[in-house]
Amino acid sequence: MNFAGKILLVDDEAHIRKYVSLIIKQLGKTTLFEAANGEDAIAAFQRERPQVVLLDVNMPKLGGIETLKRLKAIDPDCIVIMLTSLTNRETVEQALEHGAAHYIRKDTPKEEIAAALTETIDSATSPS
Amino acid sequence: MVPPMPSVPFNLSDRRILAVDDDRVNLRILRGILTKEGYTAAEANTGERALELYAEFRPHLVLLDVMMSGIDGFETCRRLKSKYGEKCAPIIFVTAKNDSEDVVEGLAAGGADYLPKPFQPKEVAARIRTHLQNQYLAEQQYLLVDQLSKANAAKNRFLGMAAHDLRNPLASIRGISEFLKAGTVGPMTPDQLDLIETIHSASQSMLQMVNELLDVATIEAGELKVNLKSEALDKLVSKCVALTNMEAAKKETRINFEAPTESVNLRIDLAKMRQVVDNLLSNSVKYSPPGSIITALIWRSDAETHCNFAIRDQGPGIPDDERDKLFKDFGRLSVQPTGGEKSTGLGLAICRKIVEAHGGTIVAENLPDGGCEFRVSLPIT
Repeated sequence: MNFAGKILLVDDEAHIRKYVSLIIKQLGKTTLFEAANGEDAIAAFQRERPQVVLLDVNMPKLGGIETLKRLKAIDPDCIVIMLTSLTNRETVEQALEHGAAHYIRKDTPKEEIAAALTETIDSATSPS
Repeated sequence: MVPPMPSVPFNLSDRRILAVDDDRVNLRILRGILTKEGYTAAEANTGERALELYAEFRPHLVLLDVMMSGIDGFETCRRLKSKYGEKCAPIIFVTAKNDSEDVVEGLAAGGADYLPKPFQPKEVAARIRTHLQNQYLAEQQYLLVDQLSKANAAKNRFLGMAAHDLRNPLASIRGISEFLKAGTVGPMTPDQLDLIETIHSASQSMLQMVNELLDVATIEAGELKVNLKSEALDKLVSKCVALTNMEAAKKETRINFEAPTESVNLRIDLAKMRQVVDNLLSNSVKYSPPGSIITALIWRSDAETHCNFAIRDQGPGIPDDERDKLFKDFGRLSVQPTGGEKSTGLGLAICRKIVEAHGGTIVAENLPDGGCEFRVSLPIT
């Protein structure tokens, strides 16, 4: 991955954060921040201003879709990739409608997660 | 939990009976019999009135005269049956016209029985009691079926939720064990690697089981939707074969795909059909002894109405007495995988449901020279 900026990883499940952060660390020199729910994600986003957010859909306090809307309101240029556990077509469509760049199923093999992250982040951050 | 079948109560006196006759004397006699038995009775003197009263009174049984002014008893019966369907109360014709042709017409109109006039009070009471008992049992059966289908839906919701919630942790376990295996977080001793390998393969097969459970829950909840698009079946099979061959190589087994000379385009849901093809291919490897040659082939039916996709394995075949179980949920057979692979017994049930959602069929046949052929037939549209 060419991208070497800040990434915010949001998921209420600690094991997923641990797992996905291992994948991201493998991909290159990024600085990673974590949040366990939507509210914390927005606070961390305002504090750190990451360029990329990996966002879980089902979370307590503030769900992924609502968090996505608020993040996009703060910074329309931020790249948000949804982390889903199921390809619920409606949720995915909703997320894409609200400006998510892509979605990744958490149960896909890690090589596929890595490839999807690299492709989405590099194409969204490369100067066009 | 299945509630026990309720026993027939001796006391049916809370039952409501609608008596219909245009003759006041007959109605009075019937009323006498009914009240003596303790039933609640309502009376109508025309077919039209009977139809109105039925809606208000909701009787458990109807005694219906045949010859009446206005619509006759047979017509009244037909209208009640068409309006209330299977839930309509049993209808007993009371008639002086009791030659066999009338009886046949009455029963054809949906009548449950007939009673000849003049009445024999004991006979009338006995027949009513029998029909009420039958009807009570039928009612209980409806109730039971309703409860069972609700319980089944609840089970599916639970299954779906459990499977769904197990998936993420399993994906993490599998992924993290892969990182450990790869030495990402530091070198491992051979013993440690062996343990990690075990964690990895166990989480991998659990993930697959959980996915299958989720599929079944989704399918049973009636949420299986196929999104049909024109796709090349041979290309799909060719891709799946290439992937499965990587796994098959571990058992020195090989799948040969005899591709058709020209591409076969069908209206299919690519992801769902891939699931079917993958499942059949991995089964063929799973149940064939190491070193087997498996054949996959595609051909059009003679009339060109269907496209067939078949896989011929070199496994032990399907025992005749277990054939029924093959495509059913949890229908695991006595036949065992040859490399210690896992099976939930759900894969083929899912395949069948997906194939049927495509308007196709799936069958399995033992081959004369040993092994088994699984054949999917899909309509060419």
